[in-house]
Amino acid sequence: MKISKLLAFMALCLPLLASAVDGVDILKKLDRNLDPESYESYRKLINIEPNGAKKEFVIYSVKKGKDQTASLFLSPSSDKGRSTLRQGDNMWLYIPSVGKPVRITSLQSVIGGVFNNADIMRLDYAQEYDVKLIEEKGDHYLLDLKAKTGDVAYDKLKMKVDKKLILPTEIEAYAASGMLLKTLHFKDVKDFGGGIKRPATIETDSPLYKDYKSVMLYSGLKKRSYADEVFTQGFMPRLEELRK
Amino acid sequence: MSASSAALTAAFATFLTVASLPASADEFKFDASEFEKKLFEFSGYLEQKEEVLKPLSDSPAYKLNFPGVPGREWLLRSTTTLEASAKLNLDPFVADVRAQASYAGDALISTTNYGKLMEGGLRWSAGTGLTFDLGKRVQRWGKGYAWSPVGFVERPRDANDPQASREGFVMASGEWTKSLSGPITTIGITGLVVPTNDSMNADFGEKKDLNPAARLYLLALDTDIDLLWRGKGARPQSFGFDFSRNLSTALEVHGEWARTMDASRITITDSGATSSQSVNVSSYLLGLRFLTEGEVTWIGEYYRNGAGYGAEELNNYYQFLDYALTTSAAPGLINKALMAAQSGYGKPNPGRDYLHLKASVNEPFDWVYGAASLTSIVNLNDHSFQITPEISYTGFSNLELRVRLVILGGQPHTEFAEKAFSNRLEVYVRYFF
Repeated sequence: MKISKLLAFMALCLPLLASAVDGVDILKKLDRNLDPESYESYRKLINIEPNGAKKEFVIYSVKKGKDQTASLFLSPSSDKGRSTLRQGDNMWLYIPSVGKPVRITSLQSVIGGVFNNADIMRLDYAQEYDVKLIEEKGDHYLLDLKAKTGDVAYDKLKMKVDKKLILPTEIEAYAASGMLLKTLHFKDVKDFGGGIKRPATIETDSPLYKDYKSVMLYSGLKKRSYADEVFTQGFMPRLEELRK
Repeated sequence: MSASSAALTAAFATFLTVASLPASADEFKFDASEFEKKLFEFSGYLEQKEEVLKPLSDSPAYKLNFPGVPGREWLLRSTTTLEASAKLNLDPFVADVRAQASYAGDALISTTNYGKLMEGGLRWSAGTGLTFDLGKRVQRWGKGYAWSPVGFVERPRDANDPQASREGFVMASGEWTKSLSGPITTIGITGLVVPTNDSMNADFGEKKDLNPAARLYLLALDTDIDLLWRGKGARPQSFGFDFSRNLSTALEVHGEWARTMDASRITITDSGATSSQSVNVSSYLLGLRFLTEGEVTWIGEYYRNGAGYGAEELNNYYQFLDYALTTSAAPGLINKALMAAQSGYGKPNPGRDYLHLKASVNEPFDWVYGAASLTSIVNLNDHSFQITPEISYTGFSNLELRVRLVILGGQPHTEFAEKAFSNRLEVYVRYFF
């Protein structure tokens, strides 16, 4: 009798075990659907104030592998030439007038507004988060993610994933205290060519910035490979050389 | 405020109005082709700075800078600065130039800089990890925020405004970088020469020499490490190291250590007797950056200036100045006072031990794009100090507004109590193009 109860319990647990495996698999697929592993892209970041006034930044970004990314500010003139570099948990900011890379942290923001450094220099979700729970709800998966280490900017993410496209439609980011820090809304799925089809617009709002909104627009996203030396401090003043 | 300043203020007000117009309906359109790489790029900034200064008319520094000028309660000064940069992208070569012109005027003095080459030259990217550079360049070595003891081949930065634009030296350099797997993930080697003679790099040194220098950079175990060296030439031989590491997402620590061999150190007594010694000196710096949960960034640095002067030595120097600048003193003493100032006493921070502490907060009280900071620099030997509260705003595209108050204090015959001005209010408006 005891054995049959144990078997019944294990049978009940099987879907949960299976779903945990699926969760990781879905997260990895979502990462690849959002960005190729090695790519270049152009992004416009718009901070919109409650009165409608806005401030825009244009950034050229490159990424290689799981944990190397670099970005160059192209606009506005006041920020042009600034660059950022991320190697895993290490982040640096290069400002031409300062002339040397300075270490920065993921929670700071090089542009102000709702986007912080972790948003701008984002790595793969599967690189930074474990899947704690996955549920199916209509045409979406709901994923609960937990940061693998304390060095990750957001302790928990609640992710709403389109079942058919395996792309996020909404992500809520929480602090370790459980406080909601921001919500990202993924919109405007666009074919970038080369097999890349992903949301071209990410709108972000935050209870910490009431009535403010930040928008990230993607363009020119394509696969491209780079030498490892591109992701070093010495190359930060030379990122412009990668642009064609 | 002068007529030109008033016109500039009006122009900036127009920019403010235009920059704050509400977003249009097509705000979410973006096409990367609008940002294609250009063959030629031109950029820069125009800055208007208005200052209210409180002169210390009895201080030796005031008398040296404004000989025979009677004291006054306040002094208003306007400074207009134009800095322009141009870049020609001829892959794999990049030619660039950065030049600055300025005008500063007040009731006592006016100075015009019609154009100074700050940087400029030709860079050849021979490969992703290999570059060669020839021209006037600013090398920024070290990890310190306010000071850099290992800045062997650069002009010293202003500890009270570390990000201020600086002029380079003419040099030839090569840099090689390689990524690795293992505990050392990046290695980089920089070699350079700073040739000096009567007409080139005269303020680096007038002795004819190549002045070689080198830097070895390592990213090892998530720590930035530099080993640095400057060969003996127009300046004495120096070597040292620096490091920087994030201990957590909110805490960074850094440090520098430098040793200079056979450095010339001149001291002066209160009666004006000078002596010169050849000494080996060590300078070092330890610092940290810490981001609190309340989003306040603290930067703290202790700086040991090995060749600097202790409280007693500075006191002797200021006593000598008091004597040399009296009307009854022999005329030759003023020249001696000027020479002593040039030998090291007149440097922005001539003391031996300093503490720099800065607390800054971005977007205080939900003031988006606003920033506020409080900076203090203390001479730990004579306990004189400088405190600088500052606010800035970058919410308007390509405009930066900055206001700061510089307050100096200390007992008589101490570093910050003997400057030409005791307090000053500075207002900056900078437009980037």
